[in-house]
Amino acid sequence: MKDIDNLIGQLAQEGGAVKAAPHPLALSLKWMALSAAYLLVLLLVSGARNELAATFQHPWFAIEVVLLVAVFVVTSVSAALLSFPDLYQMRRALWMPLAVFSVFAFVLFMAWRADVPPAPFPVHGYECTLAILMVALFPGAWMLYFMRKLASTHYQWAGSIALLHAFSVGALWLRLQENNDSILHVLQWHYLPMIGFGILGLWVGKLILKW
Amino acid sequence: MGQNENLEGLMQQALAGDQAAYAKALHATAQLLRPFLSKRLLFANDVDDVLQEILVSIHKARHTYDGQRPFIPWVYAIAKFRLQDYLRTHYADQLKQAVDIADLENDLHEDVTETGISYESISGEIQKLPEKQATILQLIHQEGYTSKEVAVKLGMNESAVKVAAHRAYKVLRKRLEEI
Repeated sequence: MKDIDNLIGQLAQEGGAVKAAPHPLALSLKWMALSAAYLLVLLLVSGARNELAATFQHPWFAIEVVLLVAVFVVTSVSAALLSFPDLYQMRRALWMPLAVFSVFAFVLFMAWRADVPPAPFPVHGYECTLAILMVALFPGAWMLYFMRKLASTHYQWAGSIALLHAFSVGALWLRLQENNDSILHVLQWHYLPMIGFGILGLWVGKLILKW
Repeated sequence: MGQNENLEGLMQQALAGDQAAYAKALHATAQLLRPFLSKRLLFANDVDDVLQEILVSIHKARHTYDGQRPFIPWVYAIAKFRLQDYLRTHYADQLKQAVDIADLENDLHEDVTETGISYESISGEIQKLPEKQATILQLIHQEGYTSKEVAVKLGMNESAVKVAAHRAYKVLRKRLEEI
């Protein structure tokens, strides 16, 4: 008991004024703005796919991109919430990524069924995963850097969602840049590896966000 | 409710740099968490250790509390996190030190009467063992109970009886070698 009193005295002495962390929504907006600017620069440098506006006339492509943007948004918000010990007391909002990913999976399934006759499968394969990974490194690194300054009590999930956000940036860039209409290719080399890296994020979160 | 509001007010002042308010908030938090930890931990020492860890964690993470939302859920989120961490480490250590039950089977089926050492001949050494271990050996080797029956008799589980017996054998072996 005396130890506790001593400790409290010591902590109180160290306890000067502290600037409270921003609201998670403000935090996620900041991350999204950074990621969006990065994505824009990448698209300006690498160029967009041919006839991008015309491609958006294909409903499945348009829905897929819209849902990818939704993944980008909800993973950013969830990562921000997961950075607070009490999830900023908005626990229900954490179901958003699951809901969006479910709809996304359904849309990809429908797009695959509608892909008749199948669009030609590109010659390349793993290069796409590698490109997404390279693009995702930056947003992944800065998100984990910002999140480390907070105090996640769900560090594994936080790591996973942060990597999913980073990979959604990479996936968005490649989908808007690559001249490819094969949904099977996109599934195999874009989205399945993205899920894999999301799982890897559980470990990354433990490694980087544990405090 | 009044106390909670008070805690939130104290934390707001603490975040603004009021050290006295911070000390009060930490004292009140410690009082709040002590019964929570006592229910979940067996020993008072453990309660104190975990409570200290939680207070340090609250100190480190205080910038994630803005004084606007309820304070108690924020504190309990950190408390549960640190408690789980402590229990995980504690049980991981216990697992490292645990004796494999399969290793004990051979020892327990040894016929001690054929080793040339009877229970009576070493009863002096057995009595020097901790009370529980001595009782277990007495029941098994003098009164002929199986480890399962001993477990029922002493209100322990069978594995615990085997582990205790195994530890007792080790101590006895060492002592007899010294003699």
